[in-house]
Amino acid sequence: MDDRLLLIAIGALVGVCSGLAAVALNTGLHFMAGALSGLRTHWWLFVLPGIGAMLSSLFLEKGVREGAGHGVPEVVYSVSRHGGLLRLRSAFSRLISSCLTIGSGGSAGPEAPVVMSGASIGSNVAQFFSLNERQRIALVGCGSAGALAAIFNAPIAGLVFTIEIIVGEWSARNIVPIAVASVAGAQVSRLLQGKQIAFTHLRFEVGITATLAAIGLAVVTALVSIALTRALRGSHHFSGKFPLPFWVRAFLGGCVVGAIGLMLPEVLGEGYHSIRQMVEGSFAPGLGLVLLLVAAKIAATSFTLGWGGSGGIFAPCLVIGSFSGLMYHRFLEMLWPGLSLVNEGCFALLGMAGLVSGILQAPLTGIFLIVEITGGYETILPLILVSALSTTICHAWEPASFYFRDLVEKGQYLRPRTDAKVLADLSIAELVETDCKTVPRSMRLGEFIRVIQQSHRNYFPVVDPETGQFEGMIHLDDIRPYLFDPLLYETVFLEQIMETDVETVDIHDELSGVLARMDAKGLFSMPVVSADRFIGMISKATLLDKYRNELMVQTLH
Amino acid sequence: MEMQMLHIFRNTPLGREMLLQSAYFCKQLEILPLIYIPDYIKFLMYFENDVVQVDLDASYLKAPDSAKAHASEIVQGMGLPQPRFFAPKHFTASTLPDLPVDFDFMCCPRSISDLSSKIGLGYIGPRVRRIVKSARFPVLIPSAVYKPWTSIAVLFGGSSNAVKALRLGIRLSRRCGLPLDVFSHPESRSRQDYENILQEAGLKEDFDNYVRTWQIFENRSFAENMYEIPHDALLVLGAYGHGLIKELLFGSTMEVVQTVTPNSMLIVGPNYRAVI
Amino acid sequence: MELKLNEFARCLQMPVTTIERWIRQGRIPAKKIGDSCVFSDTALKKWARTHNLSFCLPDEKQEEKPDQKMETLSEAIDRGGIYYDIAGDTVEQVIDSAVSAMQQLGSDTARRVLYESLVAREQMMSTGIGNGVAVPHPRTPLSNSGIADQMAACFLEKPVDFKAVDKKPVHVLFVLVATTARQHLHLLSRLSFCLRDNSFLALLSQRPEPETLRNKMAEFDQRLNNGE
Repeated sequence: MDDRLLLIAIGALVGVCSGLAAVALNTGLHFMAGALSGLRTHWWLFVLPGIGAMLSSLFLEKGVREGAGHGVPEVVYSVSRHGGLLRLRSAFSRLISSCLTIGSGGSAGPEAPVVMSGASIGSNVAQFFSLNERQRIALVGCGSAGALAAIFNAPIAGLVFTIEIIVGEWSARNIVPIAVASVAGAQVSRLLQGKQIAFTHLRFEVGITATLAAIGLAVVTALVSIALTRALRGSHHFSGKFPLPFWVRAFLGGCVVGAIGLMLPEVLGEGYHSIRQMVEGSFAPGLGLVLLLVAAKIAATSFTLGWGGSGGIFAPCLVIGSFSGLMYHRFLEMLWPGLSLVNEGCFALLGMAGLVSGILQAPLTGIFLIVEITGGYETILPLILVSALSTTICHAWEPASFYFRDLVEKGQYLRPRTDAKVLADLSIAELVETDCKTVPRSMRLGEFIRVIQQSHRNYFPVVDPETGQFEGMIHLDDIRPYLFDPLLYETVFLEQIMETDVETVDIHDELSGVLARMDAKGLFSMPVVSADRFIGMISKATLLDKYRNELMVQTLH
Repeated sequence: MEMQMLHIFRNTPLGREMLLQSAYFCKQLEILPLIYIPDYIKFLMYFENDVVQVDLDASYLKAPDSAKAHASEIVQGMGLPQPRFFAPKHFTASTLPDLPVDFDFMCCPRSISDLSSKIGLGYIGPRVRRIVKSARFPVLIPSAVYKPWTSIAVLFGGSSNAVKALRLGIRLSRRCGLPLDVFSHPESRSRQDYENILQEAGLKEDFDNYVRTWQIFENRSFAENMYEIPHDALLVLGAYGHGLIKELLFGSTMEVVQTVTPNSMLIVGPNYRAVI
Repeated sequence: MELKLNEFARCLQMPVTTIERWIRQGRIPAKKIGDSCVFSDTALKKWARTHNLSFCLPDEKQEEKPDQKMETLSEAIDRGGIYYDIAGDTVEQVIDSAVSAMQQLGSDTARRVLYESLVAREQMMSTGIGNGVAVPHPRTPLSNSGIADQMAACFLEKPVDFKAVDKKPVHVLFVLVATTARQHLHLLSRLSFCLRDNSFLALLSQRPEPETLRNKMAEFDQRLNNGE
């Protein structure tokens, strides 16, 4: 069978599997909610999220020894650095741990865990069929798209999120299998859970005033996004300062969340119930309380995720976004009581799009997700505006999105078809030129000139003939002054001319680092020396050839 | 280019024996040992088509203060230069380093993740198996106590992996100048079949030049024949050379060998690519 | 088709490590089975063309131009010949008679082309390199004239003023004709090696027999080939 058809077929299979994973998590959450709902009245319930987060972190660390990370960045790292290789255990570990965290009331979302698990399913299917890296990455994308499509019943959002965030490359080869997987995932979810739109609402009449007001909303959501990003990271650093076992930390974080939840139960869990109310326009609390809720939800999310709970930030984003939208709407109404704005539900919806776009810095994902989960195509104009503006403002303040920030800091943000990716793929071993003539330090200048005659290079490594140890370099420029002075031919030895303090490269060095050193020192070539042995030279001249080859191979299909 | 051997050091008496074995191996073959003293209990190895997570036995993290000095002392005591220490450059998560896989050899104890009490004959840990299966380098599984070896023994059954093992054995023998013995246990093959296999692999000449003795066991059981392998030989063998089905039915040679021989073993996996 | 990995890499003129990585990453239409690569010949050629690479199988290595064999002095002089008593009082006249005397020039048109280019070269600057020797040669290689690489030694009837660098009259010409600039430089450098040798200069002034001159040049060739 043709490779592409095969990939589409396997992609559909992966989509179905990851769809099932998403449905399983959803069912698990419903079950937990049902089981715990009877207890909601007791005052000591604030420890419940604590116990959930503790169990979740213990399960991740001791049960499956996952080496917990956030999930999505790990997938992106593996896609960009290791061709999408993921561990099999990741296919289920996050499902269980996030189910424990969220089900017990922690403020987190089920989306990142299902994306992780879908991606891992895709990767392991690819490993089973011994597919190559490009196909494996496509299947990782299929898994993530299928999972997201299934959990939100939103196939386009699944596709767009995967392309924008996970794969980072818009090409027909990727899009086709991922789109098919998205359809498969959404279909599985519709078959098993019914065709439901998460947040149904009344029809909105969106006029010019609403579109203009959306500009202000974009600023608000951008600010809230930045606050959330900072709070999440801040709480992670803060919790790291306590010399406590990780599970105690998770417990304490969870308890704080539970305590907040005693006063404001809206912040607990994924929070979709309150979104539904807001979009329908039946959310009662006034402006002050909504403002408090924004802050409380940010705090709860930071305490859940930053202190060791497991889950995604997607759902909290939606909740905070709809709170922000509502807050903005009520604020406007207070300023201009006579203003004939659209229903506040519409602003809750716009707020969600703004926050998702701002946090992920992926405007398309925000737009399509909201359109799909609300079925509200009539709001598309202000939606695009809010998403685009919010992304832009956030990008100015936080150059890397929440998912990518750690990768950028570690220099592992390698998107396809970029300079960084090409440099990361090329290794020194592939670039080293080994046709250099080595000379001993005891050689006389006269003999050396004969060596030069027969060589077509400008650099000559000086190597101890007995031990093979690298001792220095001679560049043609070094001997140019003596080249036409036959008197020196028999009296000067190479050790008197050679450069001993040479910048060298190790064969395992990263090319980007080597190039940075070359640029800093103004060098055009450097000797590659491993364990004191001269191996060859790398030079910018040949690098251009190889770089071009690599770039063409990576970008032309 | 210099060859490197990765050794994950544990700062315990058992770890000392392992490192002594590695150092001896490196000295015989003029390889540079590269020592990793783990800072974290876990690491990942990204192979071509598999990612292996190794959860180290907790004893690997013991006494980190003296580990470096101990390792240097052992390696230098063997007459090798000051060893190099490996520091991971990439991390999948903040406590989960990635180890590169472009070494020429790697030393693994029989079990790397389970308690050391399980280390004994007849047991090879699941992680070590997966490393052997995916790795492009041969894996040295040293005997539990340091013992210098003075010859090389290759188990040559005739499969494609056994040819790789034989080729490696010949290269090792050429490099360190120690005698090479070949042991074959014909299942359905005759001597002539073996000759044909050698001819086809282009090893005939090397085989005649380097192999000291070639014993073809017949009639006795395989396990019984293992007694013929010299006690002070480095045993080179291929692993997982058969298909999955055949292996499930009959078990691989490696299984039998490792349950009866205490020798240090150099295992060539199906993805092994020649380095020397 | 199936090829060993290293042969395959050689066909693409890339390092084995790069090819292996490309196969692993799925960037090249080839599959790896054990140590071998499996690929479709036509698909790979097409791929290589679109990616600015060249791919040719080992058995169809393009007809590489055999690295042009560099002439030795004796070979060149064998083709060009040794001539005596070349008449003339001026540079043009001697060159004219030398070109007329040379046997291996093919058609008359070629002869005229050679004469004109030699004279043009002399008018630019004398080729008299001192010690009574001149080396007339065309300024650009006569690649399309049909004249083979050669060197003719022409002993003059009487010394002629060539406006040589050392102002001495010239008594012997070495006419150098080469089809490529490299060949020309190669022959010139070999000849200049001889002309630095005093015994050779002494020999030239005695108008040696063809055999003696050839032997002497063969001796120099020997020394040059031995890497002096």
